[in-house]
Amino acid sequence: MNEPSVAYRTVRTTAKVAGTFTVLFLVLLVGNLIGTTVIGPLREDRLAAMKVALRGGDPTDEQLAEIRQLDLQIRRNRVWRLDFAHKTGHALLASVVVLLVAGRLMRVLNRRPPQPQNALDVGAEQLREARVSRWAVTAGLVVLGGGAAMLVMVGAPLAFVAAEETGPAYASREDKRLQWHRFRGPDGAGVSIFTNIPTEWDGATGKGILWKAAVPLPGNNSPIIWNDRVFLSGATEQKQEVYCYDADLGRLLWTGDVPISPAAAQARIDPMEDTGYAASTMATDGKRVYAIFVTGDIAAFDFNGRRLWYKSLGVPDNAYGYASSLETHQDRVIVQYDQGHGDEDVSRLYALDGASGRVVWEVKRDVPNSWTSPVVVEIEGRLQLLTLTDPWALANDPADGAEIWRADCLGGDVAPSAIYAGGLVLAIEPYSHMVAIKPTGQGDVTKTHIAWTMDEGGPDVCCPVSDGQYAYLLESHGLIMCCRLADGEKVYEHDLRDNFTASPSLAGGRLYFLGMDGVMTIAEAGPEYKELGKNELGEKCHASPAFVDGRIYIRGLENLYCIGGAVAGDRAD
Amino acid sequence: MVRPRPILVALAALLVVGVAALGLERFPPPEFETDYVRPTTTAPNPPQGVWEYVDAGVLAVTLVLATVLVLRTRNRKLIFTLMLFCLAYFGFFRDGCVCPIGAIQNVTLTAFDPGYAIPLAVLIFFALPLVFTLFFGRVFCGAVCPLGAIQDAVLIHPVRVPRWLESGLRLIAYLYLGAGVLFAAMGAMFIICRYDPFVGFFRLSGNWEILVFGGCLLLIGMFVGRPYCRFLCPYGVILRQLSRLSRWRVTITPTDCIQCRLCEDACPFGAIRKPTEPWPDKEYKVARRRLAFLLVLLPVLIGAGGWGGYELRQWLALVHPEVRLAQRIYLEENALVEGTTDASDAFRALGRSSDELYAAATQLRDRFGLGGTLLGAFVGCVIGGKLLTLSVKRRRADYEPDPASCLACGRCYAYCPKEHERLKRGREGLIRH
Repeated sequence: MNEPSVAYRTVRTTAKVAGTFTVLFLVLLVGNLIGTTVIGPLREDRLAAMKVALRGGDPTDEQLAEIRQLDLQIRRNRVWRLDFAHKTGHALLASVVVLLVAGRLMRVLNRRPPQPQNALDVGAEQLREARVSRWAVTAGLVVLGGGAAMLVMVGAPLAFVAAEETGPAYASREDKRLQWHRFRGPDGAGVSIFTNIPTEWDGATGKGILWKAAVPLPGNNSPIIWNDRVFLSGATEQKQEVYCYDADLGRLLWTGDVPISPAAAQARIDPMEDTGYAASTMATDGKRVYAIFVTGDIAAFDFNGRRLWYKSLGVPDNAYGYASSLETHQDRVIVQYDQGHGDEDVSRLYALDGASGRVVWEVKRDVPNSWTSPVVVEIEGRLQLLTLTDPWALANDPADGAEIWRADCLGGDVAPSAIYAGGLVLAIEPYSHMVAIKPTGQGDVTKTHIAWTMDEGGPDVCCPVSDGQYAYLLESHGLIMCCRLADGEKVYEHDLRDNFTASPSLAGGRLYFLGMDGVMTIAEAGPEYKELGKNELGEKCHASPAFVDGRIYIRGLENLYCIGGAVAGDRAD
Repeated sequence: MVRPRPILVALAALLVVGVAALGLERFPPPEFETDYVRPTTTAPNPPQGVWEYVDAGVLAVTLVLATVLVLRTRNRKLIFTLMLFCLAYFGFFRDGCVCPIGAIQNVTLTAFDPGYAIPLAVLIFFALPLVFTLFFGRVFCGAVCPLGAIQDAVLIHPVRVPRWLESGLRLIAYLYLGAGVLFAAMGAMFIICRYDPFVGFFRLSGNWEILVFGGCLLLIGMFVGRPYCRFLCPYGVILRQLSRLSRWRVTITPTDCIQCRLCEDACPFGAIRKPTEPWPDKEYKVARRRLAFLLVLLPVLIGAGGWGGYELRQWLALVHPEVRLAQRIYLEENALVEGTTDASDAFRALGRSSDELYAAATQLRDRFGLGGTLLGAFVGCVIGGKLLTLSVKRRRADYEPDPASCLACGRCYAYCPKEHERLKRGREGLIRH
């Protein structure tokens, strides 16, 4: 083996020295970095702690001098380290340049003449190269396409962007009458226009039950229906979800996730068990569905499960947990957001733009928390948005939120929502009374428009239902009271001997009372109680059922049921 | 083949951390009252106009010199010397700006924003290398570009990158070019300048992420010749196509190729192509079918790319600061995040309404729909085109540099016996005279 030349050895030694210096400078730079990022902050933390300790007090001159001295020390240190980093950086650059030059020279001095290898089959090699290259490009295509597809599926969080719409932006009120678009259906009255509602089923044998589907997360909200879709929501402390089921087959079509806002996550809301994390029933305007949770987080989805927007209305201050359901008016979602004790200026009535979630209008309400739900009803050709709270029954214009009338007639924890029947608005104060208000006034109508008051108690949870002649009240321990709408006189009362949280409903002249044990009692509407039958579902039920053409949808604690079969078009009007 | 050794890995790690250590952060001014009077904050003065024209002049002169050295003198040492001068001048002395690579974005913005006027010097920087490439091949890459020069300077032990890997990695440059043009056209960001990996070294300052990125590229560049030029440079994508059309370009041999095969491994950038041989008959049949399939696939890829780009419009729009601000304001207004940012504070201080901001951001999102479609179609076209070119048989009788890939560095000259003969004749001629 030949001895390397002097030049080569010189360059090699230079490379070694330059390499050693390069390493040395790198070590110094790393040491400097550690000093800056680890030791420096410790001093700064001490300085910050000293500042906090003095804040609000009356510091002495010694304390101020100590702080100033430490501040100066920190700054001097930082300046020194900065200067050191710059100088060492330059030295590093110089040593790297020397190392590179020496390395290149070593390569030049050690250069061997080219020695081609034995020629392979060039043609075959070129074919192989081209083939493998095509695969490499195809792999690039797959990686790019896969990445793009993943991003498309995840969807960018551009919440403020309005959804792209085609056709009418919302369903008409006439369309809504054929659906069950909100809590207790059209007008929130619990009345179905269909007369072909099932009257017989049995959960044990499956008789009369079209399908049954598990609901992933718990919730006390009721199902809502739009054509071939059933929507409901579920939530726990960690998760908030919206579900869409195929109304004919019971297949879960999609699940929508509603993020928990940071404020709600931090607040760690702990609602009453009977309320739960998803008590509010969803609503739809025929184009989008809306859901709100006990956290005050509200979201909108299109019918394909694409989340259009979500927002937080702030963590509600609510004694038992927020439970008001949503209403829709045109392409707006109406939110009754009563909270606090009434004197903190925190209660609001909102109309949010359905496409974007932006606030179209909001009305401040000097009322405490309540659990009723807003309803939009048509009264003498004009739409009124009715809400009940303590102490007011209120009517606002759903177009701009302007107040139409108010009546001082309620108190306590108001939970049953208002209904409009027989030309009267019925409002209930739990355990106390029911009031009938003529909704034709303006301003405070307490003294002028209260038609009658029924003082023989009132339900604490369930909303009333009416056939236009009589109002039917259901107390949570099972007592039915029937009152004449004309004058509020009690016509009869009957004890069902069951517990109830689901509100009563009316379809085809029949009253439907769903007990907590899953037993549906069916009775004839009219001036006397006449039971038509009882049907057992076999699962506990808290939510009010939904009624559409030929079917009843019932949410049990764990499952969603569809009662009925073939759709028929037998309507009441 | 270089095997990774533990000591090499340790050195690399040290280098990366060490480079990061250069990026120390500044600190806020003292909270206490002192005698020191802080100067009023002012915007830095724009660079003196005269220097821009000096730079343009130096660019023109160096391009002429490079052309002469590459095509006529054929002297690698002089090319290397010129390259080091350009690295020192355009890189370290002029801080790596203006450069033709970033100028792509200025030209794009001029085309799309009527309110933006491109400085003449920038236009010259963009156009001159293109004109020279059109006539003389990539002489700009070989001897003038400071980004190429810094990588060339650190290349110590070149290893061969397989052709298939090179083909796959080169797609990144096309994607980068498309994204750079799109974001510049939308006024969103000059992404090519923002992620220039070497400008931090030229200025001996910069944020640590870019310094580390550049450090890694240089570390790789010690073994893989000019990784940025070959796999990332968006300007290189344009130069590649123009270089194919060039009338005069680098040849390995000054006269005739004697097929001695001595130059086979001369190019550290894998640009030397071997003479081709006839295919077996059955391969022709397969190749024809493949070509027909790829010709049909090309419009499909363009369409799919366009559709994918459109669907990604919301992600792409997030690059725009206006859209990001709108999103931030929305999140803050709806209590979905806590606290504010400097940008959201500044927005509120200006008194602009959030509705106005949302409307502007929505409009931008829609514009990104068109831009994303075009970007996706471009990427689909590039991939389809690449598959097609890889399926077509080329005819080559001699060893010659690939016109698109050759960086005109002049390394291969010394490997050719005919070149030695030419030099010898030149020296003898000089002696006779």
